[in-house]
Amino acid sequence: MTALRDYADRVNQPELSDPSGSPTRWDEMVGPDGGLRAPWKALASVAVGLTEHDLARVGRDVTRFLADDGVTYVRPHGRGEVPWRLDPVPLVLDAADWASLEVGLAQRAELLDAVLVDLYGEQTLLAEGVVPPEVVHTHPGFVRALARRSYVDPHPLLVTGTDLGRGPDGAWLALGDRTQAPSGIGFAMENRRVVSRVLPELYREARLHRLGPFFSAMRSVLMQSGGGETADARVVVLSTGAGSETAYDQAFVASTLGFPLVEGADLVVRDGYVHLRTAGSLERVDVILRRVDAEWTDPLELRGDSRLGVAGLTEVVRRGRVRVVNGLGSGVLESPALLPYLPAACRHLLDEDLRLASVPTWWGGSEEGRAALLDRSDLVVRTVDDPAPLRLPAEDLRDRVLADPGRYVGQEPADLSWSPQVGPSGAVHSRPVSLRTFALQHGGAYRPMVGGLASVLGDDRSVISSKDVWVLKASPEDPDQGLAEVLPLSTLRAPEVTVPRVLEDMFWLGRYVDRAEAALRLTLAATTLAEEARPATAGDQALAVVRGAVHRLAGPGPGSSPETDLRSVLLDGRRVGTAAHAVAGMREAAQSVRDQLSADVWRAFGVLDRAAELVTDSPYRHQLGEGAGRMLTGVLSVDGVVASMMRDQTWHVIEAGRCLERALQLAHLLRATTCVRRGLDVDRRVLDAVLVATESSVTHRRRFRGHVRPASVVDLLLLDRANPRSLRFALVALADHLSGLAGSTGSTRPERLVADLLTRVEETDTATLVAIGGVDRPHLADLLDEVLAQLSRTADAIAELHFSTGPAPRPFPHLVVAGP
Amino acid sequence: MRWALWHRTTYTYDDEVTDSLGVLHLRPRSLPYQRVLDHELSLTPVPGDAAPDVDHFGNETTFFQVRTPHTELVVRADSTVEVEDRVHDDAVLAVPWERARPAERRDLPDAWRAIELALPSPRVSRHAGAASYAAASLAPGRPLGEASYDLMHRIHEDFAYDKTATTVTSTLDDVLAERAGVCQDFAHLFLAGWRAHGLAARYVSGYLATTPPPGKERVVGADASHAWVEVWLPGSEGGGDWLALDPTNDQPAGERYVTVACGRDYGDVPPVRGIIFTEARSSSLKVEVDVAPG
Repeated sequence: MTALRDYADRVNQPELSDPSGSPTRWDEMVGPDGGLRAPWKALASVAVGLTEHDLARVGRDVTRFLADDGVTYVRPHGRGEVPWRLDPVPLVLDAADWASLEVGLAQRAELLDAVLVDLYGEQTLLAEGVVPPEVVHTHPGFVRALARRSYVDPHPLLVTGTDLGRGPDGAWLALGDRTQAPSGIGFAMENRRVVSRVLPELYREARLHRLGPFFSAMRSVLMQSGGGETADARVVVLSTGAGSETAYDQAFVASTLGFPLVEGADLVVRDGYVHLRTAGSLERVDVILRRVDAEWTDPLELRGDSRLGVAGLTEVVRRGRVRVVNGLGSGVLESPALLPYLPAACRHLLDEDLRLASVPTWWGGSEEGRAALLDRSDLVVRTVDDPAPLRLPAEDLRDRVLADPGRYVGQEPADLSWSPQVGPSGAVHSRPVSLRTFALQHGGAYRPMVGGLASVLGDDRSVISSKDVWVLKASPEDPDQGLAEVLPLSTLRAPEVTVPRVLEDMFWLGRYVDRAEAALRLTLAATTLAEEARPATAGDQALAVVRGAVHRLAGPGPGSSPETDLRSVLLDGRRVGTAAHAVAGMREAAQSVRDQLSADVWRAFGVLDRAAELVTDSPYRHQLGEGAGRMLTGVLSVDGVVASMMRDQTWHVIEAGRCLERALQLAHLLRATTCVRRGLDVDRRVLDAVLVATESSVTHRRRFRGHVRPASVVDLLLLDRANPRSLRFALVALADHLSGLAGSTGSTRPERLVADLLTRVEETDTATLVAIGGVDRPHLADLLDEVLAQLSRTADAIAELHFSTGPAPRPFPHLVVAGP
Repeated sequence: MRWALWHRTTYTYDDEVTDSLGVLHLRPRSLPYQRVLDHELSLTPVPGDAAPDVDHFGNETTFFQVRTPHTELVVRADSTVEVEDRVHDDAVLAVPWERARPAERRDLPDAWRAIELALPSPRVSRHAGAASYAAASLAPGRPLGEASYDLMHRIHEDFAYDKTATTVTSTLDDVLAERAGVCQDFAHLFLAGWRAHGLAARYVSGYLATTPPPGKERVVGADASHAWVEVWLPGSEGGGDWLALDPTNDQPAGERYVTVACGRDYGDVPPVRGIIFTEARSSSLKVEVDVAPG
């Protein structure tokens, strides 16, 4: 018995139907007769062949692909980042089913746009009593700063999102609208990418609408929306930053569309326009696709405490000199209190009946709504400005509604359709699904994305997984998305934009990559010593010295055993100075510039995660070395990503970060290991470990043939001009990469500091450095201390010259109106 | 009466400000009983960008941006205004206050606009204490004029005028607990109480001409911005008539009151608000206002 056939048989068990025999819910795959529904019939030859075993494998593939692409979802309220979840079995709709839904979605988007124009203009909906003014005036999404005659935007909604559920009769119902900054378009595209890879036969069989043309259309719509010359239009995606819930989605949309992902601090108002601060100059911005809620976008006229916005943005919008998508006033449309009034608004504004009904909703501010909220215990109650339902005892809820009825709505729990969902073992469960759809204003009308993002809901109706949405074509000749005329995206290339914040993240990405590499190589050297060392031998003493080098950067670790300590170096991301901390830093930096990096970089993190799991799961000591080795492979694969980058500023700044960090790590390592004499036997082992940790053993053997001596090691690692692992080499390269940054003149402070340091290194010689004073090598210690201090000054100078964006905005001091 | 207004706001910083953006509500409104004969706004340094506009409540505003580095910003507004006493329809003042709830007067063409001013706002939130305080002035069937005057009298009687009792962040809770405040607090308290009963009223920002104590010279700059309230009068001829009451001084606002701007609460109409970009650690603010017979 195959998995989906088995599912089909279970769906029509008698307990799922009510006694009258009418179905209590719609199943997306199985019809009431127990047979597959029409769209699945087309896929039956492949789909029905899948066993639980196949599905379990596919499920694991999905997890791995998503991890390789670094797809994550940050849970709200600081509950951390979790991997994005995707169920491999898509939600499949056929052309007939979609056609009727599509008309309803297009009309709904047109209606919402018209409502918005009316509310910020003539307000006939309010004046004529179609919508109670309270609904609008008490909602935080109504932006009074735009409710002025001076602000005219005939089409403030460019992209809408609507959540849908399907009732037992098969009809779709709108659950709510997302109009400020609808998220999920990027996740939808990623889901498609993954499902097409893990179920290639099914995907080929399906003849479904591909998503690409929707993105191309979206790109051209955004470029045209600025009103100026399309070819020159500068569009940016305004993000809430890497800590946002949908950071992946934001970065994916930005990089797919080819627009830079920016944050509020990267933008500035000058001369009545918005500008992007790029390294060294300002560039005018015509269109802002925002992922920041309106109230946070302008500390001058909206929330004064916002750090995410652009001071003066509202004024520029009113003057029509920048287009914000969606319009800053569009949040008011997300109020569920509007839902009961949409049918009347549709007749009033469009002179049509509303095609796509909303879930039955009562607003507490109306007589009948208040009565329903107080009398009906079956309603799902929420406030007008928060989509999360209130889960409160009935009495408390009643008190709240009585105190401020206009703040609450009650909605009938939506009947949702059910769909197969694959569990970890490959077993197929039946779960409710909802569907987020998108519509784009294109060529004078709204075009829904032919597809979407489905959510699988758990028993408490929280989202447990997403699903791809396949809409099948009526005929193979149908153009994808019904858009034959749109240019594919690949013909367009995004111009280079480097804002100082991005340069800073890139610099740190480079620094963390080399820091992680140094820490891992040192750990490998230490594990090798630890495996051989017997107590109170030279090997044991050498191990102590090498661990001293670890502790110099990471502080003393937990426990005294080398094994516990080294395990912590590999795994404890919160212990500053460890490999794990550097890897976490790499990841954070990479996430902040996700739109600028090849997706391959996330493969590297996939390798790193699996290596860390190996260390975590295995109690065996030898797995430490193995784990460290695999982590090193992960870090080194970032090299490959960097190597194939364009040779622009971004690349130079990463490389500058790497050179600076390499020099720093080397100086720390030598300072901890070679400045004190400990006896020939110990010193030899320490020097061997140093060569291992600096990946220079082979070079040393080739160059010096004989024994490892302090002089040969110092010569090779500090002064050799040809060894890419030497301090001198790193400084020359650092100078070179600094000169590749905009703003460098050859005589800027960071360049001068590096040049001085290089001179200092070049003027010394090996004999002086290894000269002995007592048990110490004072000249070597002095040089290394100078190197460390000068590199730290250089890092500060680089930050000041290349990354600073000036002070943060803050409000004028306030005065109380005290009056006479 | 004709008044010459002089309003100067000076911000001083201990380090250079490189960019300063602001929104001003300093131009007196043109109203049936108030004519603006002359108005001049000047900023030092001179802003590179300055543009007038009319806001959602019909107030005249100015947006500005100063990019000349400065350690002192001076905003100066000089106006000449002619104000008359306001005349209201006695029949409207005599209606029972319950008939002045805009949500229940959809028969009146301007009622839908007044609804916005019967709802809570950021600084005039729904407040049970303010609601029950105002209830004492709202006996069933009491004429609207009488009820609103009574609430004004009671606030004047029950609350002490005390500049030390209040800060920018004073809330209705603070004012009710301390039984003290300044004009802005009294206006907000009146609005919270009034709106809690479904009635519409708005916050007014402006100036009151003061008379120097007997035997003393007028001191230029000793006046201040003032705040009072306006109560919506339903069904007045032509619609849109408001009764202006000053709970701080326990009197209706007459020809000595110059109206600058009105809104839901102070937050809609501060005379000056802005954002600065600076490394400065401290800043100070000085406001000088003078209202002299013109």
